[in-house]
Amino acid sequence: MQSKAGYLLGKFIELVLTLFVVSLLVFAAFSIIPGDAARVMLGPDATDAQVQLLRSQMGLDKPLVVRYFSWIAGVFTFNPGTSYAYNMGVGELIAQRLPVTLGMSAIAMIMVILISYPLAVLSSRKPGRLGDQVCSVIGHVLFAIPPYVASLLLILLAGSVFKLMTVGTYVSPRENFISYIGCLLLPSFAIALPKIAMSFKFLRSSIIEQNSKDYVRTSKSHGLSDLKILVRHVLPNSNVSSITIISIILSDILGGSLIVEQVFNLPGLGRLLLSAISRRDFPLLSGIVFYLALITVLLYFISDIASSLADPRIRLK
Amino acid sequence: MTRQSRKLRSPEASAFYIAGILLLGIVVAAFIVSLFWTPYAPDATDASSKLLAPCAEHPFGTDNFGRDVLSRVMAASKYTIFISAAGVAIALVLGTVSGIPAGYFGGFADRSIMLLGNSIMCFPGILLALVAVAVFGPSVANVIWALGLVFAPTFARVCRVGTMEIKELDYITHARVMGVKPARIMALHIFPNLVSQLLPATVIGLANMTLFESGMSYLGLGVQPPDASFGKMLSDAQAYIRTAPWLIVFPALMLVFYILGLYFISEGLRVSLSKGGK
Repeated sequence: MQSKAGYLLGKFIELVLTLFVVSLLVFAAFSIIPGDAARVMLGPDATDAQVQLLRSQMGLDKPLVVRYFSWIAGVFTFNPGTSYAYNMGVGELIAQRLPVTLGMSAIAMIMVILISYPLAVLSSRKPGRLGDQVCSVIGHVLFAIPPYVASLLLILLAGSVFKLMTVGTYVSPRENFISYIGCLLLPSFAIALPKIAMSFKFLRSSIIEQNSKDYVRTSKSHGLSDLKILVRHVLPNSNVSSITIISIILSDILGGSLIVEQVFNLPGLGRLLLSAISRRDFPLLSGIVFYLALITVLLYFISDIASSLADPRIRLK
Repeated sequence: MTRQSRKLRSPEASAFYIAGILLLGIVVAAFIVSLFWTPYAPDATDASSKLLAPCAEHPFGTDNFGRDVLSRVMAASKYTIFISAAGVAIALVLGTVSGIPAGYFGGFADRSIMLLGNSIMCFPGILLALVAVAVFGPSVANVIWALGLVFAPTFARVCRVGTMEIKELDYITHARVMGVKPARIMALHIFPNLVSQLLPATVIGLANMTLFESGMSYLGLGVQPPDASFGKMLSDAQAYIRTAPWLIVFPALMLVFYILGLYFISEGLRVSLSKGGK
């Protein structure tokens, strides 16, 4: 038997340890670059003096342990070094691009919830009915379409059939908030499609499982309406598993947005990441990678805590 | 009795199997035929037949260099199948070798292995594989081992949980009391019993790895030109999305057939295994 405080403490230690390993992984990846990182970044034409200068600028001449701790200190004060290609602070660059990626992820998540919940509830009312089966088959197909392929197909549809959306023009939220949402709708929908299918599938089977439990039959014999049973008893019980699913979906959405931004030409983190890769801008690259992983680690931590609050039995596992 | 229950569970599972094998079969057939014959050479350019719509000579049309799309799609299926198979093989080996001891010994070894696995899973999507490719350069070999590493924790989890259940059974205790070495118990007594759980995970892994690989190729960080891959073909076709939609449709269809086929087969496995367990 574990107390609530003990469980929270254990989860917190796990969070710190995970962050430590994640930071080690990122740091190691950029420290074991074959050859000299400075020379790789400058290209084959650089003189020895230039390479030496960049080495001391990036602190590559210091020992590994010192570099790790100065990097970690920088990361947690949101100042993880200077981008080599943009000549700007990495934190500043990421902050500029964040509205696109986070906005798109948020819209996609809202779409997933708004579409998958009603469909799952309707589908699970009478499993095996025609509507349910059609939803399931469509779900399987959507699940198999990679988000960037869905984007291309949506552009094709939007362009040729509806002729209404201008694809590939980004409006910043400060200029015009409505247009900002508008230009993110199509990419968000492309990312959301497979996740709608995933959320639908889990929620549907979870509701069907709960419906066969004794407490539902008892509530029915007590004369509760189907709607009341659903809202008061079945959905809260299904929510426990959907908290975990939602955290997984959110992390997937974040990963998917990196590619979809490229399709729609949106200036988000994904494009920054790609330009950092092609320009071999390692300080920028390690910053983006670590912050994206940090968001995911925190997401999983929050979802663990939330599901243990929703269902204290989880603490026993 | 057994025969009757087998008949009862067959229709749903076999519908999934048939659909899956049909879809997967299209891609695998294209791959096998492409080893011996393609209508045109996949890289042969032809200035006189650029951007032709599908017709008798070119059933899938031609691209902006006059290359035959059917031939390129057939050649691209090779990389999709090869990378997903090789990557899953690496993930499977890494996952079993780390997951079974973690579940068997427990304690500190278990905690450290799971911590490493969870940390790897905290990088969303293709991020970690992109880092590996950024550092070591884009090539098919780098994509394979990077994706193998990214997928290993999934298999490690399956092995760990399965091992923890199996090791409590009497025959394992018996073997341990008789003095059988842990390595032998894990290899000969535990691993064979994990196969039924690893099989669906492997099929799903193939599909997910294809999703990741094609995304990387789309970004230009996977299979490198002039070799054809579905992802790269789609990214090249994007410039002609209004004028030549067939450049998008056929590679996208083949990619989705492959992934969907694998999903259907895994769904069939899931249905027949879960019903068989009851």
